[in-house]
Amino acid sequence: MQQQRTAIALIFVLLIGALVVLTQLSVPLGLDLRGGAQLTIQVQTTEEITDITQDRLESVKRVIQNRVDGLGVSEPIVQTVGGDRISVQLPGVSDPAQAERVLGGTAQLEFRAQKEGTDQEFQEKFLTRDQLEAQLEELRENSEENQAEIEETLEELDQVNQEILDLFEPAALTGSQLEQARAQPAQAGNNWQVQIRFDQEGGSKFAELTRNIAGTGRGLGIFLDDELVSAPTVSSQYADRGITGGSATISGGFTVQEAEDLAIQLRGGSLPLPVEIVENRTVGATLGQESIQRSIYASLSGLILVLVFMGVYYRLPGLIADLALSIYALLTFAAYVLVGVTLTLPGIAGFILSIGMAVDANVLIFERTREELRAGKTLYRAVEGGFYRAFSSILDSNVTTLIACAALFWLGSGLVRGFAVTLAIGVLISLFTALTCTRTFLLFAVLGFPTIRKKPELFCPNLAVQK
Amino acid sequence: MKLNVIKQRYFWWLLSALTVIISLLAMIVSYLQFEAPLRPSLDFVGGTRLQLELDCSIPQNCDEPIAISEVQEILEAQGLPDARAQVFGENETGLSIRAQTLDVEERSELQDALEANFGQFDPTTIQIDTVGPTIGEELFTSGILALLVSFFGIIVYISIRFQLDYAIFAILALFHDALITAGVFSILGLVAMVEVDSLFLVALLTIIGFSVNDTVVIYDRIRETGQQEPEASIAKVVDDAVNQTLTRSINTTLTTILPLLAILLFGGETLKEFALALIIGFLLGAYSSIFLASTLLAWWRERQETTQQKPFSEQV
Repeated sequence: MQQQRTAIALIFVLLIGALVVLTQLSVPLGLDLRGGAQLTIQVQTTEEITDITQDRLESVKRVIQNRVDGLGVSEPIVQTVGGDRISVQLPGVSDPAQAERVLGGTAQLEFRAQKEGTDQEFQEKFLTRDQLEAQLEELRENSEENQAEIEETLEELDQVNQEILDLFEPAALTGSQLEQARAQPAQAGNNWQVQIRFDQEGGSKFAELTRNIAGTGRGLGIFLDDELVSAPTVSSQYADRGITGGSATISGGFTVQEAEDLAIQLRGGSLPLPVEIVENRTVGATLGQESIQRSIYASLSGLILVLVFMGVYYRLPGLIADLALSIYALLTFAAYVLVGVTLTLPGIAGFILSIGMAVDANVLIFERTREELRAGKTLYRAVEGGFYRAFSSILDSNVTTLIACAALFWLGSGLVRGFAVTLAIGVLISLFTALTCTRTFLLFAVLGFPTIRKKPELFCPNLAVQK
Repeated sequence: MKLNVIKQRYFWWLLSALTVIISLLAMIVSYLQFEAPLRPSLDFVGGTRLQLELDCSIPQNCDEPIAISEVQEILEAQGLPDARAQVFGENETGLSIRAQTLDVEERSELQDALEANFGQFDPTTIQIDTVGPTIGEELFTSGILALLVSFFGIIVYISIRFQLDYAIFAILALFHDALITAGVFSILGLVAMVEVDSLFLVALLTIIGFSVNDTVVIYDRIRETGQQEPEASIAKVVDDAVNQTLTRSINTTLTTILPLLAILLFGGETLKEFALALIIGFLLGAYSSIFLASTLLAWWRERQETTQQKPFSEQV
């Protein structure tokens, strides 16, 4: 009896602990439940850089992190996955398309001076490019008919862009020396432009660059991802010292959206390696709320059905099992919070299934207890015997489930892992509650209340003792 | 109630064999149609799914249901003739489109074209899933790998706790359960367009866990009964063990399936098919433990006894 009192005290302490944990901390909800976007970004190799080292992956991650910060989403998570991927979670993001554009873009900004004696060639190419762009727009209005022509035009455009790039000296100044970039309305028209400011070193490079070409009629090429955005000329008044102060604007007939995206990308810096968004899972906030509500109602109603069944079928032990199951649910939830499990839809499923496992252990024990009672044992011996004999079954069946969980956790990806963790925690706690809570409460009832001891029918209706 | 599993074993074996054959046939038909044994969702083959709902808080925005023919026209104009569109919701104000992988520009263009035609969509109900083909492949291979590793782990554990032949029949029963569950979904894919996603892989893994669970409980009883009555034939031992654990099998299956039924009926959209797969799998798990794993074990042990005794009888 002393043993049972100690055990009950222990369970009581655990319960208080669980309640404290649950009131102080909350379970973080997965994006499928709270709504938001989850993007997986694949880092790609180039001809020069053929392997992605941990360092390079980290530096890509830093750039992505900067860009994510620029989006102004609260509580974003940026993590590396495997050897070449980055996972970005943006809870409650309102414009997933913007996030994709900003995170997936390369935005390699370069300032190049036009080569000497290329004036005429540049004019021609620039004109050709304008024409091709206009042509493309026209073709796109009937895109399915002109598919072949569109592709052809795109190819030509690529070629012209490459030729224009060749007319400029290699970059003297890149976006890495950028300190600030922000969108602002252009002085004329509805267009927007991006204002940039360089750091000290960048500022002096910019001054040198502008001094060299000032008054020559040659342009200062501003390239974004090897594509010319604009090529302003610098007037002769700057021939002495160049444009000092380290500020410049990039104008290219941007819309508000384009200018803002570009500013975020520039602020975030340029990526050391090209990236591609290979996975995007976005769930609207309302959809998430709806599915969590429905799943919680479903789990609760399922749980109640199970509790009723146990009470009706197994009588007093069934009610005691119900108590143990409620404790199980509380402890499991507290464990989720402590371990830092993010609750997702599969996670909820894992939780519901672990309730099934917890019930199974009790069923095994009670069936055994009934057998012992039918064999003519006293109530106390029957209860003890029931636990003793059910133990190996419970252990074996739970261990096999844990083995499956381990395999899932080891090899599975995000979703599968979450399921494995929640199921494994559930199985472990169900072992504890079945073998400790149910047992202690049952023995407490049998030992502590003589009236119960005289009524074995509370444990097994229609008890007919066999010889 | 008392089951006589050993006596009826040929009936159960035939039933299982037939169901397995039907499942395999469904998968072959499905393979010819989708190049996969089950209708794969974009989790496995890659692509983009876009789900939108009209914003009904704007007056007159939801008056007309979305016309699927108009959607199809827009899709073709966007150069996506292979895309599939579906309308859902009470007033047909929801739209789900499944297409090849679309990048952000293509997707925005499509969305703009749809908005221009049908009215404003509610941004809080939007759902986008884009999965690159490599990701899908990886999900699949990692899932299959996880499956094989857990098979191996389970075989090793049961071989240690029981014996190797116990483990082999447990795995056989488990294959049976997974295969038929997949078969049912293969048929559903053919007749009701049900697709399997990565949650289905999770479901299969769970079914395997539960199937082994059930089998282990009966094995445990067979071992115990066999030790108590060393003189009894293996057939009788198995029959007794099955009957002694029958109430437990029924009750456990019932209590596990109750919450799943609740999810199937009331749960969120994504979990419904998951719950259905688990219900089918758990029922099969209980069935195969009682009627297959145990009877096959009895048959195998009987056979072994007779082959071992044979040399003696020949000598006489």
